[in-house]
Amino acid sequence: MAYQMFAAIDVGSNDISMKIFEVTAKWGSKEVDCVSHILELGSDTYRLGYVSNEKINELCNCLNKFKDKMKEYGCKEYRAYATSAIREASNSLMIIELIELRTGIQVKILSNSEHRFMMLKGCASTMEEFDEITGRNTALLDMGAGSIQISLFEKQLLTATQNIKIGSIRVRDMMSGIESRVTNGEEVIEEYVQNELGTFNTMYLGDKKIKNVIAIGDEIQALQKLAPELKIQKLMTKDQIDYLYNKILNVSPQDMASKYGIPFERATLIRPAIIVYRILVETTKADEIFLHDITLCDGIVADYMDTERKYTVGRKYEQDIIASATAMAKRYKSNRPHVSYVSEVALAIFDAMKKQHGMNRRQRLQLEIACILHDCGKFINMQNVANNSYNIIMSTEMVGLSHKEREEIANAVRYNTLYLPAYQQVKDSLGDASYTTVAKLAAILRVANALDRSHKQKVEKFSMQIKDKKLVISVDTVHNITLEAALFKEKADFFEQIYGIRPVLKQRRNV
Amino acid sequence: MADKKGNKELKKTSNYVNRELSWLEFNYRILGEAKDKTIRPFERIKFLGITASNLDEFFMVRVASLMDMVHAGYNKPDIADMTPAQQLEEIIPMTKAFMNSQYTTYNRSLLPLLEKNGLHVITHHEDLTEEQQNYVDDFFDKDVYPVLTPMAVDASRPFPLIRNKSLNIGALIRKKDSNEVEIATVQVPSVLPRIVHVPSNQEGMEEVILLEQVIEKNISKLFLNYEVTCAHPYRIMRNADLTIDEDEAADLLKEIEKQIKQRQWGEVIRLEVEESIDKALLKELSQQLHVDKTNIFPINGPLDLTFLSKLSGLSGYDHLKNPKYTPQPIPELNHDESIFEQIKRKDIFLHHPYQTFDPVVQFISQAAVDPNVLAIKQTLYRVSSNSPIVAALALAAENGKQVTVLVELKARFDEENNINWAKKLEKTGCHVIYGLVGLKTHSKISLVVRREEDGIKRYVHLGTGNYNDVTARIYTDTGILTASDSIGEDATAVFNMLSGYSEPASWNKLAVAPIWLKNTVLDLIRREAENAKVGKPAHIIAKMNSLCDPAVMEALYEASNAGVKIDLIIRGICCLRAGVPGLSENITVRSIVGDFLEHARILYCYNDGFEEIYMGSADWMPRNLDKRVEIMFPVEDKDAKAQAKHILDVQLADTLKAYILQPDGTYEKLDLRGKEKISAQETFCREAVERAKKEKESNQEKRVFEPITNTLSKN
Repeated sequence: MAYQMFAAIDVGSNDISMKIFEVTAKWGSKEVDCVSHILELGSDTYRLGYVSNEKINELCNCLNKFKDKMKEYGCKEYRAYATSAIREASNSLMIIELIELRTGIQVKILSNSEHRFMMLKGCASTMEEFDEITGRNTALLDMGAGSIQISLFEKQLLTATQNIKIGSIRVRDMMSGIESRVTNGEEVIEEYVQNELGTFNTMYLGDKKIKNVIAIGDEIQALQKLAPELKIQKLMTKDQIDYLYNKILNVSPQDMASKYGIPFERATLIRPAIIVYRILVETTKADEIFLHDITLCDGIVADYMDTERKYTVGRKYEQDIIASATAMAKRYKSNRPHVSYVSEVALAIFDAMKKQHGMNRRQRLQLEIACILHDCGKFINMQNVANNSYNIIMSTEMVGLSHKEREEIANAVRYNTLYLPAYQQVKDSLGDASYTTVAKLAAILRVANALDRSHKQKVEKFSMQIKDKKLVISVDTVHNITLEAALFKEKADFFEQIYGIRPVLKQRRNV
Repeated sequence: MADKKGNKELKKTSNYVNRELSWLEFNYRILGEAKDKTIRPFERIKFLGITASNLDEFFMVRVASLMDMVHAGYNKPDIADMTPAQQLEEIIPMTKAFMNSQYTTYNRSLLPLLEKNGLHVITHHEDLTEEQQNYVDDFFDKDVYPVLTPMAVDASRPFPLIRNKSLNIGALIRKKDSNEVEIATVQVPSVLPRIVHVPSNQEGMEEVILLEQVIEKNISKLFLNYEVTCAHPYRIMRNADLTIDEDEAADLLKEIEKQIKQRQWGEVIRLEVEESIDKALLKELSQQLHVDKTNIFPINGPLDLTFLSKLSGLSGYDHLKNPKYTPQPIPELNHDESIFEQIKRKDIFLHHPYQTFDPVVQFISQAAVDPNVLAIKQTLYRVSSNSPIVAALALAAENGKQVTVLVELKARFDEENNINWAKKLEKTGCHVIYGLVGLKTHSKISLVVRREEDGIKRYVHLGTGNYNDVTARIYTDTGILTASDSIGEDATAVFNMLSGYSEPASWNKLAVAPIWLKNTVLDLIRREAENAKVGKPAHIIAKMNSLCDPAVMEALYEASNAGVKIDLIIRGICCLRAGVPGLSENITVRSIVGDFLEHARILYCYNDGFEEIYMGSADWMPRNLDKRVEIMFPVEDKDAKAQAKHILDVQLADTLKAYILQPDGTYEKLDLRGKEKISAQETFCREAVERAKKEKESNQEKRVFEPITNTLSKN
């Protein structure tokens, strides 16, 4: 049969949900069923630091019911992901283990950036006007339980993303703490949110004008239900946000639940959500918010189709990751021609060595990002660039990359110029990163970087060839490349150690 | 202007009828059928039996609950401004008058009528001939005596537990050597048939006597060392309303099992005795059973007339019964193709019992063996014993289908039966769910999920009646079989909700109680009212079993005042007043009582020419709209819509079986002068036969043997 059944399972902070999709190569994904079970794992983690046994039991029971539901559609293929509630719980690994023992379901914990990137994929793949909207400067607001993620788009590409810990559960719990002490709880919270968003504003927006805001996340359905009189569909104007804001000040969550059919737990999260929406619109000066009601499950299926590569996916998501790395390099005033030159060379080496290095597409992406960011540390100080760059990368979130991937990039950048010690000596500082990946990426980066030591991009044309354990890099240039050639030898030694292949520089003066 | 009246005016309590009194009116209409001389004698007996079992249920549930309220000091008046105590004050005497009327009909009309037709019911054992006396004595010794448990009461032996609704004989007995009178009681065994045939020496006459008479005659054999001074039958009714606090019941199933046992222990709310009962015996009984005088019902005839349904089922007497009707096949369905192929082509409209229930059974049983079917989901409220649907569900589970069955344990008086099915289904591997806390699942829906060439396809049956093949021969119900995607998605959402998952964000087509249905109904009524206000024609026809939801009735009054023509076809309780100037001049209410039990719920809205028809499981009662999971669904297929509308049209044209609600709250039959005699139920029977016949003929015409012509040329 031409279609496949796929189940996307989201072990979220507010609820556990599953969507069943029919996936076809031609038509993409079609949702056939959707179930969710309200279970606030997040409130355990954010309050106690771990998830209680009671909730783990309920979670496993629910997942077993999900398994039955999958059978109802003859569905065998699935991806199950857990997000911040489990990720931040001190017993996270035991939870994952218990789930597998009791249900047979393998749940993977997503890092925040992976999670947000899936949301982005879900949004881009299901929102028809996505490209049109992001053609102008756009902020994508993903409202989560613990935090919000704001991603900026310029000319359809993602350029920056920032996580701010003002998610709906967190703000709600903060409010209830404050409200017991002061009367103007809203104002205090608003000031807090304003301050957080203000910092974001100065850091990323500067004098850029944000034209559009897209909001995604669990609160949207509830918003639509709360004000049936506004008939909010895909768009919410500034006036409507103010109207909603005034409305929620007067309606208790109990009333929302009984009058508007919003589940009580959800109802308690609307107020924080509206506060954030309202302040974001004020901060960005956008006139309206596009609402797009998707869940992580939509993102999971979009990611599945993208990564399985069996299916046609409209958007090139890697471009988003690269664009945001480029924007980051720009923020740290990297030398743009140099960076793109190094990238070009490095990728050419990578492609020529496919059979020899055994790395995959994902690592090619890591290499490209390492090239883009390889000298961002200069922004801080000309001295100790390697460690500065490492620190910048490690403390900047990059959407779409797992923590491990980012750590590998940061280390590759660090050992681009620093001596790479033996595994035993360095393993503790590597964190999640794989030593070999770091070494392999660094080796290519070093050679590519050497070719533009002067930052003058002297070589206009080059070609790569593998011959007898040699990587022959032929360069066409009339410039003097003595500086490059001198440095090249040292870098080639390291490269040879790693790959068993020696890069050789050959200059042709055909021009 | 009528439509400018405030809501306050519409809410006036005098605009509404107390529901219990309206219910008693309904039972009078059935009694009317028992009295109707144009109806065949055995059918009249049957109707009289129905009035008796109805009244039993009324006592056990409604009267009992009113008594509970009085005991609990609950004083809130109902919609007609009557407190529970006031309601009881009216109901009890009215019921007594009603029972008088029942027994007058039995003694004066039906017994003589039966005797004239060769069936003699011997009312007193004293009237037996000598031969018959010998016969019943012998029968008593051999068959009855062994199963009797006579119980005497004295200081050391307390009065025994008398089972709810059981028939008993109470006797005063005296030891032969003493003057002390004791009370004794013996249950008329329910394991033996109540009707005992006795030999007759009259040519062509069948004679029967009731079992309690046989026991009474031989009562002295039970108390050998005593002298029996008197013996009379009596019967009690206990408070049986089952109220369970679901939040507290850790295990719902166990709780209900316990409640069933407890039901026999409830307070006695009615004591029925023979009119001629010995005063001392009555005094003793009422003391032992803690019954006060108002709740004693003296009766002129045999207690518990429900045996009449057995009597009406005696074999023979065919000319005294209505000819048996066979439910007809559905012309739109054939037996050659899979039912799913046929549903995919076109929605199928079903009208039971005129049309057979078989397609619904086929829907499940074909799904059970269809290799492409992945899952079956169904609600079960009341099922028949040996239900073919339950068997098919079990088979499906054994065949590896994912079967989810919602068994509603709280179906009144069916709890025991339902627990048995639930357990049986669980054993075969079905997922049995028991619905939502605090909400009875009354919706009738089944869903089949099938894997097909171009994706997952859902098939849905939605109906107004239970999945019960036996009652489907007696209850008039409607339903559709559809492959509509939007209804299929909603059906999945319904079952997700019933399985305890969060409710869906929105519904495509279905209106689901408790949350959404009432508003949908109110919106539909208001839409007609809006249309009427701007001078457009507006019309509502609604058919149901009961109407007593205050919000809906108020909306109907408003719509009537706005000029909407409203025709209601309501079998039972109707708390609304019809045809009252300034309130409901545009509303008519009719009730159809016939051989089949009217049960379908259909709503028609004119909608400015874009007519809409809905069907569903819910009556317009607060309990249905607020406390149950119910579904109202649109009928969208053109032909199905026409068929549903036709049902309403014919019922509105009924002149024979329809009772019309008068402004004063009473019901009257139409004056037939100058009118065509139409019985809706008979019309539907005739039409179903004609349609099936026509289809069969056209099929036979189609069957042509085709000669093989191509083979030769190939060679």
